[in-house]
Amino acid sequence: MSSIAILIWVINVTLDTVGHVALKFAAVTDSEESTELARWKYMLGSLPLWLGIVCFCLEFVVWLAFLSVLSLSQGVLLGAINMVSIVIAGRLVFKEKLDRMRLLGMALITVGVVFVGIYA
Amino acid sequence: MKRTQFYIFGFSALMLCDTLTQISFKLASNHGGEFAMQLAWFLSIFSQPWIYGAVLGYLGSFVAWMTLLKHAPVGPAFAASHLEVVLVLIVSAVYFGDRLAPMQIVGALLIVLGIVCLSFSEAEHEKDEVH
Repeated sequence: MSSIAILIWVINVTLDTVGHVALKFAAVTDSEESTELARWKYMLGSLPLWLGIVCFCLEFVVWLAFLSVLSLSQGVLLGAINMVSIVIAGRLVFKEKLDRMRLLGMALITVGVVFVGIYA
Repeated sequence: MKRTQFYIFGFSALMLCDTLTQISFKLASNHGGEFAMQLAWFLSIFSQPWIYGAVLGYLGSFVAWMTLLKHAPVGPAFAASHLEVVLVLIVSAVYFGDRLAPMQIVGALLIVLGIVCLSFSEAEHEKDEVH
């Protein structure tokens, strides 16, 4: 991987993780609205939802840049590291459980990404 | 709608939208050539139709994702939805003619196995929780 590819990759992971945490935040703090429409109205006024949207808009451009320096198959495989960072963020922010299966999954993905990255 | 049906429908919609997005992204970025922090690069990307396929896929994924998140924890739900990687790899090989090095294929298998592990852990937690 070239240094520009690594830089774009790191920015992408950061934006993706912050974006998903923000959206989860918006989705769970909806004060038990009774209808789906009321739920969306409430969410559209929340700051975390918009933080999430901004992150994903930026990620849109960053991902285009990433795919311009790598093939699509290498790109999506390297992007799998997002899952690892999001499970860690889920643990830190929402106290989601980290059992053995989840740790094993994270380890497998990390090793797989390293294999793909070294030969990219 | 039953929970199982809701998940199957939701995840399929998400997977198809995600795959459409990735293919459109690649076709769009092929137009601009290698990334450069220049107006010309952005103009060449945004002046052709595939970028709007990516926008459409993105919007579809967003609605499917926000609906799913209401019921699923963020980490594993994300993982289960990311088995779209398999679909994207197939399309890349057949349509774009991407070839991976042998060690990268091993890496891809490990990644897919890892996603399956995260999804299994999701199923376990689903049983534990009271709804």
